[in-house]
Formats: sequence, C-alpha cells, structure tokens
Amino acid sequence: MNTLTFSEARHLVSRTGLGVEWGSVKNLEGLSREKAVEVVLNQAAAPVRPAPAFTPWHKLEPMRDNSAEGRKDAWSIAQNEGKRLQGWWVEQMLLTSSPFVERMTLFWHNYFPSSIQKTLQPNLLHKQNLMLRQNALGNFRNLLKAVARDPAMLVYLDGYENVKGRPNENFARELLELFTVGSSEYGQADVKAVAKVFTGWGVHPSSGDFAFDSSQHDGSPVTVLGRTRAFTGDEVIDMLVEHPRTSERLVERVWQHFVSGNRPDQTTVQSWAAQFRRADYDIKALLRVVFNSPQFWEANNRGTLVKSPVELLIGTVRMANYPRESTGEMVNLCRLMGQQLFDPPNVRGWLGGEHWISTQTLLVRASYLSKVSRGNLNRRVETGLHLPPKDQQEMLAWMLAVPPVNKLPEIPGNRRLANALMLDPAFQVA
Amino acid sequence: MNRRGFLKLAGALPAAGLLPELVWAADTKTKNKTETSGKNVSSSKRRKAVVLIKLAGGNDGLNTLIPQRDYSLYTKHRSAARIPEHKLKEFPLDNGMSVNPYMTSLRRWWEQGELAWIQGVGYPHGVLSHFRSSDIWETATSAFEHSEIGWLAQVLPQYKQGLHGIILGEGLGPMAGKDCHTIAMQSPQVFLSQVDLVPDIQPISRGSTALKHVVNVQHQLHDAGRQLKEKMANPPRLGGFSTSVLGRKLESVAQMILNDVDTAVYKVEHSGYDTHANQLNVHNNLLFELAAALNSFGDTMKQHGRWDDVLVVTYSEFGRRVQENRGGGTDHGTASVQLVMGGRVSGGRVYGENPRLNDLDGDGNLHMTTDFRAVYGTLATRWFGVNNPWSQFGSVGFV
Repeated sequence: MNTLTFSEARHLVSRTGLGVEWGSVKNLEGLSREKAVEVVLNQAAAPVRPAPAFTPWHKLEPMRDNSAEGRKDAWSIAQNEGKRLQGWWVEQMLLTSSPFVERMTLFWHNYFPSSIQKTLQPNLLHKQNLMLRQNALGNFRNLLKAVARDPAMLVYLDGYENVKGRPNENFARELLELFTVGSSEYGQADVKAVAKVFTGWGVHPSSGDFAFDSSQHDGSPVTVLGRTRAFTGDEVIDMLVEHPRTSERLVERVWQHFVSGNRPDQTTVQSWAAQFRRADYDIKALLRVVFNSPQFWEANNRGTLVKSPVELLIGTVRMANYPRESTGEMVNLCRLMGQQLFDPPNVRGWLGGEHWISTQTLLVRASYLSKVSRGNLNRRVETGLHLPPKDQQEMLAWMLAVPPVNKLPEIPGNRRLANALMLDPAFQVA
Repeated sequence: MNRRGFLKLAGALPAAGLLPELVWAADTKTKNKTETSGKNVSSSKRRKAVVLIKLAGGNDGLNTLIPQRDYSLYTKHRSAARIPEHKLKEFPLDNGMSVNPYMTSLRRWWEQGELAWIQGVGYPHGVLSHFRSSDIWETATSAFEHSEIGWLAQVLPQYKQGLHGIILGEGLGPMAGKDCHTIAMQSPQVFLSQVDLVPDIQPISRGSTALKHVVNVQHQLHDAGRQLKEKMANPPRLGGFSTSVLGRKLESVAQMILNDVDTAVYKVEHSGYDTHANQLNVHNNLLFELAAALNSFGDTMKQHGRWDDVLVVTYSEFGRRVQENRGGGTDHGTASVQLVMGGRVSGGRVYGENPRLNDLDGDGNLHMTTDFRAVYGTLATRWFGVNNPWSQFGSVGFV
C-alpha cells in the first residue's frame, strides 16, 4: 500500500519523539503507515536512569509541623531536591532510546499534575513519575486508580486531609472537573458526595505509601451522578471512566497534543472515544487509532502545533547533536520557557499550543536557538556537528514541518542553512 | 480560538507593514478619542497607570478584614484559622472590622486617606472553580456566560493607542483580546538583554494559525523592545523595596512608570492564596508580603511625585468558605474584599457592606453585596474616562 516518504516519516517522528532524529526518520521511511505506527507504539522502554537520593516522606513531613525553623528547612530541602529531580528527568529525556515513552509520561504528568511547590515532597513526585511511566501506555482505568492512590497526588490535592466529618473537596472537584467528566456534567452535591467517598485515603506516616484508614472513612451511602449507594473509591472511578464525556475529553486532549491545533470535529471525537471505550480504555489502542487516522497525516494539520519547551530544548539537542547546556541550565531554560517539570502552574496543567508563545517566552526561545546556532556554548568544543542532509531540499524536509517564513541564505553551506532554519519562525512549530 | 492566546492580527491585516506601524506608534501625537476634560493622556508626560495585582488562588476576605464587633460569630466558624482577638486592635477600621494585623505597614496610608477597602465583592451564583471564576472576573461576564475578551480589552482600546498593558509574568487574563496590545516579561532587564536578538518580521498571510501567531508575537516583541530600549536607557536607582518576589515585581513596575513607559496597565500576580490546609500562617505571610510591597511601592511613587498618577487594585478569583475545614484551612468561597490604593483614591473608607456571617448561602458561603463589575465600571468612567460597558451595576466611590 502506501509507504512512508521521508517527509511523512519525519512527521511521525516529530509528533511522537523528542526531536526529529535522522536515524529514527530513516528507520521509518519506506515502511507502510501501519507498520511505522506499530514501530513507534512498541518502542522498547529504555531503562530509567538512577535518581539522586531524596529525603523520604517520614523525615520531611514532620519537619513542617515542628516549628517555623523546621518549615523553612523542609522548604529548602524541597527546593534543592526539586531541582535535582527536574535535572534527573531532563537527563532521562536527553539520553533515552524510547522518546515516545517519555513523551507519553510527560502527557500524563500534564493530565494529572502535581507540583513541587504545593507538595514540597520531591521523593513522592519521583515515585509518581515512575508510576506514570509504567502506566503511560497501559490502561486508563488502572492509571486513574493508581493516580487516586498516588501519595504525591494525595498531598497535592489535599486528599490526605480528607477525613470523615470534615471532608476536603479539592480532589473530588478536580477528579470530576478535570480528570473525567468535565464541568457541565455534575453539580456541587456530586463534589461533596465524591469527597465523602474518598475520605480515609491517605499517606502512611512512615512508609510514605498509600494507606487507607477505615476509621477516617465515611462509608455512608451517597448520591453520585444520580446513583445512590455506599460507593468505594474504585467504584466511583469506574463510573466516571465509563461516562462517555470522559473518553471524549481525553480524546480532545490527545488531539490537541498530537494531531492538530485546529479544533477536531465532534464526529471524530465521538468515533475515537467510542473505539477507546470498546478497547476497554487501552491507551495504546487509542493511540493506534489516532496515529493511523487520516487526520493525523493530513497536510493541513502540519505545522499547527507549537513545540513545547521540552520539544524545543531537548529535541533540538537530540536532533542534531548540537552542543548542549549543563543540566542545571536546561532546567532553568525549561522554566523560563514556561514548562517547569514537576511544577505545572496549577492543576489544569500547561495549556500548551499557542500559550507556549508569548512575548516573554519567544524571547527565551529565540535567544536559546541563537546561542545554539552560533555554537559557542560554554566550555564545549566544536565536535564537528554532523548534519546528515545532502542538499538544501533534504535539509528543509528534515528540519521543518512547513516551508520557512524567511528567505533562505544566499551563501551556500549546510551549517549556515541549518542555522537560518533554526531561527526561522517555522522551526517553532511541529 | 482560545482566549488566553495573545494578540492575533491574523485575518485583520491589510498590506504587510502598514497597520503594525500605526498600532505600535508611541502615542505622543495621537489623541484620546473620548477625552473631554483637560486630563493629560495624550501628552507625553505624566502618564497614568493602574497596577493590577491578582491574589491568585482565592484570597480569604474574612481573614483580611476580620469582624471585630461580631467576633463571636467569627469564632463560631474559625478556630485553627482564627486571628486572635487581641490582635484586632492593631489596625481597626471604623465599621466594626479590623484589618489583618500583618498588614499594619499600610495603616498610615489608610490614615492619609489613600487606601480604601471594598467589601463583599463577588457576583451572583458564585462559581467555585479557580479557572471558571478567574475567567468570570477577568472577562466580566456573569456566571452563565463565556467570553474570550478580557474586561480591560474592552476599555483600553478606547483609552489609548499603542501599548495597553505590561504583564510581569504570564496570564493575560483581563487583557486578552485581539485589540488589546500587551507584552509579557519576567523583568525589564531580562527583557532588554534578550530582545536585541529578535529581528523584525512582517506578519504573514499564509500558514497555520500557530505559525501566524509566532510571527505576530515576534513582530510585537521587536516593536516593544524598541520602545522599552528608548525609555529605559537610564533606569532610576530605587532603594527600599521589599525583596520578596512581589516586591521585586513592583519595583520593576515602578521603574517603568518612572521612565514613562507608554502603557496604561501593569499586571502582576501574587500567588499562594489557595489555602485549603494550614491556612493561618501561610495567609498571614502572604498579606504581610503584600502590605510590605505596597508600602514600598507607595513610598517610591510619592517620592517621585507620581502617586497621583497611580492606582493599585487587587483582585482574586473568589473568597473562601466561612467555616474552616479539618485541615485548618478553608475551601473555595464567594465574596471577598478588594484593596485600592493611590494618590487619587477616596480612601480612609470602607465601601460595601460588612459580611453577614449568620446569613450564608446554601453552601455556607457569604452573599456578595457589591458586584465586581461596579468596580470595573468605576475604573472605566472615573479613571480611564471612557464609556462604561457595566453601567447597569452602578459604581463605587473609591476614586
């Protein structure tokens, strides 16, 4: 049938990887569309790099109750270890042989945010990251149940303080509004009811793992979305996952991240959502549908996504082995570009798309790319940057998803052309 | 199109190069269309500015202005998150309320009549979601409508041409909208050090929305850079600003105001107000920080003779519930308080009604008694001097 051209292979790598690595593109070029998608989906997960040591929950949490001094110390530890945690993930993404797995982990981190600043528990966030990676291409129902038990999430949305008699509604609200059915499907009474269902879900004081305390659990019957019984948390999650709006909303997010900056039509959303439900919420199955769809490959959808800071920063280095900044500086650049790993701005996550580009962030992006293209990054020696394309046409097809905005340099030379293309507005989109 | 996107000239552009020049021209020659009085907006000296401070997360009005006269009603609902009674004599008001004792640095501004409070500010059918309620506040809709256009985007284009607002941070919020021209920056210094790298570029007519957006932002950026470079060539040395994150932001704002940067609004965010647990110390610290930053800002503006040209207004997406929760915090609520401060404020007064603690709504939340659109309407007519899109909500006499 139809086998992938260089451009099409490039498109698939660009949307599913971290940077358009020449080798990855060449591996997919010439395969059928279906086969290429399977290669991407079944990428063998690279091992996770060892992480730095983090102060455990049972040491860090009590510090905050002791005194103002204790709170300050706990805060400092969280800031320092938080930076090391961010650096750990940056390195993981720079060096991994399975960039698609990292991309999906990042997708779920954005979908189920938790933050260093709110939790002040880098150790828990590290564990959450491992959990997200493990479930990234698994089953959405199981993932949501794991998230509800995740200690970092329990702290982030105050679930661990949600107890019988004095429920805390934070998690219940976000579970309904953001993680599943969405704001038009429930009322304040449902929030109260769901909060009650999750009372007693907390964090064990010594292990820092999930612990259910039945003495803190209010097991009285409640009414959630019209049904009344003494629900367990998992039963509520099942009900919410099975609500059609949940799969539709997830499909819309997937569309926004992988397919196009243009709005999807409702028929597509409903069709993909239905297929997702029929596959019993298998994430890989959904992505298979998405990546094989005509919309994913449609020419009008090229260049409609703005590269996230991670894609721009890490992708550019991976793409052409450009000299890179130190880990600390990469972490800082991510922050300046508006994407602090493990620190999304709020529980909605990063809005993404055109929000990545403001007068502020474009400045940072432009200066970073300027620096990279000039090749004078700190102490790195010019290692003979390897640019595989053999001519101008190949260079354009490789580096950009759409034709450049600016005129090309008249003086020939691969290096000069690569620099010009990197500084072109077209390089900012995928 | 998502309203939180930035200035989009796509589709409305004539031949490349023509409109952008007009749009970004410094307004020394252009006139304020609705100006009737002698107030100087069109001349190049003494520009006025609103400094909008978002208290992000939902500021607990009840611990900002605490009921002194009805203290026993207050203690019925607050124990771990209670301001002790003896502290209420540090900054009492004359309406039976007291200001949080951590804000005493603002007491002299109150006594000078340059600080005012507005109570019970909210909107009917308060929504308890951060995003939705922020949207409502920032686009001035009712709880049942949606809009993509910020409230300031409905006012500022009538007020002036050129640059309308500078955001220190992110989040256009009140200034979202294609007719509202803004730049967002970390700080002026960082901005200037990098903007040289951004070449000028003409808006394009072909390409995806994303690509057009990148190009348009680049163009705005280049132009704003040019203006700021001229104005900020010799920034004044400012001493005495508090070194908190908010203090530093207000210091940057002060520098830009004193350098006569041509903009009408500065927007700054103070975050951390979503105090669901262990509220007391966290919230007190935030208010302390806020007061200290405002105090040093006011001093600086006064020293340079610009206090009459500046109006500080705080806002938050909602207040918090009267009854505290088990974690010593409070959940999302409704009506809250706003602070306004500046040389032209009719201060030393509290506007709006005291909170009625024994008359709560079905959710245990305070009823609002001043619609926030009355505050916006007041700013539109009495500060900006333009048509008021919210005249049906009345006005509040703070300026």
